[in-house]
Amino acid sequence: MSEPKSVLIIDDDPDFVHAVGELLASSGYQVSTASNGREGLDLAKRLQPDLILLDVMMSERTEGFFTLEQIRDVPALAETPVIVISSIYSDHPVFKVSPEAGWLPASLFLPKPVDPARLIAESARLIAASAATGAHVPQAGSSGR
Amino acid sequence: MTAQVMDAGMRTAVPPAGEARRVFVIDDDDIMLVSCRRILEKAGYEVETFSHGAEGIRRIPEAPPQLLLVDLKMPELDGLQVIERVREIDEDVVIAVITGYATISTAVDAMKAGAYDFLPKPFTPDELRLIVNRGCERWRLAMESKRLRREKEEAERRFVTFVSHQLKSPLVAAKQYLDVLLYTHKGELSPRTSEWLVRAQVRLGEMLNLIQDWLALARIERGTVCDRTATTDLPGIVRQAVDAVAPQAEAAGVTVEVEIAPSLPLLGGDEASLATIVTNLVSNAVKYNRVGGRVTIRAAAEGTMALLEVVDTGIGIPDQAIPHLFEEFYRVRTDQTRHIAGTGLGLAICKRIAHDLGGSIEVASRVGEGTRFAVRIPLAATAAGGGVRA
Repeated sequence: MSEPKSVLIIDDDPDFVHAVGELLASSGYQVSTASNGREGLDLAKRLQPDLILLDVMMSERTEGFFTLEQIRDVPALAETPVIVISSIYSDHPVFKVSPEAGWLPASLFLPKPVDPARLIAESARLIAASAATGAHVPQAGSSGR
Repeated sequence: MTAQVMDAGMRTAVPPAGEARRVFVIDDDDIMLVSCRRILEKAGYEVETFSHGAEGIRRIPEAPPQLLLVDLKMPELDGLQVIERVREIDEDVVIAVITGYATISTAVDAMKAGAYDFLPKPFTPDELRLIVNRGCERWRLAMESKRLRREKEEAERRFVTFVSHQLKSPLVAAKQYLDVLLYTHKGELSPRTSEWLVRAQVRLGEMLNLIQDWLALARIERGTVCDRTATTDLPGIVRQAVDAVAPQAEAAGVTVEVEIAPSLPLLGGDEASLATIVTNLVSNAVKYNRVGGRVTIRAAAEGTMALLEVVDTGIGIPDQAIPHLFEEFYRVRTDQTRHIAGTGLGLAICKRIAHDLGGSIEVASRVGEGTRFAVRIPLAATAAGGGVRA
């Protein structure tokens, strides 16, 4: 990595943002944060980050899902890797969302709290993959729009 | 997930109080239709009359009535056929049949087909009003209880979601701080600081697991989790469970063996529910084992059921604990289990899922020798009528 890569964290819990922000900063990322979907979308358009971390259950319940759809609707962000981090994957046995399921155009889903080593490894992998192909590999779910 | 949509749906199902009470009358006798209309309109009902069953049935979806009065003896579509068709398109409308004395036995058939009441011919205006009032009241009560049931379900669903978010958020944030701190400052912390932080991290993790299990149980009890119509391949689930438990097994010096009959057909039930059972049992078998111990996972068809056995060579379960083992929050408390973390909900969840999928779970154990859990789950019904090849 020549210049620092940038990560945008969209999450309404300031402590979670703080902890994960510090983690990414300590690994050399440039970190920006937003506390809701609207603010996150605006910031994403403006900054065009290399990676977006997105929460699901914000103030508007499943806000994150809609935010993700809106992010994908912006041409410049259509291929940006997005990691959805949420505790709903760990407590809802049926709510099995994976990129293979194909209906949510996220690159990866991680349970919350997130394992630091895993997050660092996946972030590097996704950013490298997206840089290498010049585009993040589109998911099945995003092909319909 | 979409509360607004559900609310809207709920409101349309129940008309606001004070809405006109609508009654349809289907009879091939025009004089009958005219007198019914006159009597009922005078009593404040909105009445529509039809001399053919088909016309009335067509009209129902457009402007559903609370009550339908239908003559049993009609030339084209007879009353019984009308009742059957109406029941297919509207489960709520209350049906009363009009019948001559000679056809009382047909009236009984009509009741069986879904009619609520009957009015023998000839009848007085009072008798007609009585039947119609009773029918409309019946409709109102049915709607009311339907609404209350939905409200209750919705409140429970919201409560579970609320608990999930509100209880977990602070724990998630606190644990996330510790996770990050221990990761980024690994080498810099004093052994004592590090140890205490790890303890706090572990305890927070246990609390999160408890909430997770409790929520899982709440969801299962609401009947929204287990899906009997789905089919699942057991070996795949067992492989995942074994992989997931591998680090703990290795740390505890426990070997895990899998013996699954290669011909085992698909199981009836959704993957998530079945995976929850397998994961819980395998993880217990490792946790309550001993150094050098063994866990054996066996599965084979047994008639129309799949028999899954998880056998360990662990510490065993005291006899007096066995009857309580599947109770919520029950944990076996001995010197050996004192240091083993658990929520006390895992087996309650397993039992609930097994039952919801039409199966069973049982346990046999001997202290100091080991424990065997046996789960029976119906095999998926196949087109070949199969699942029975044992």
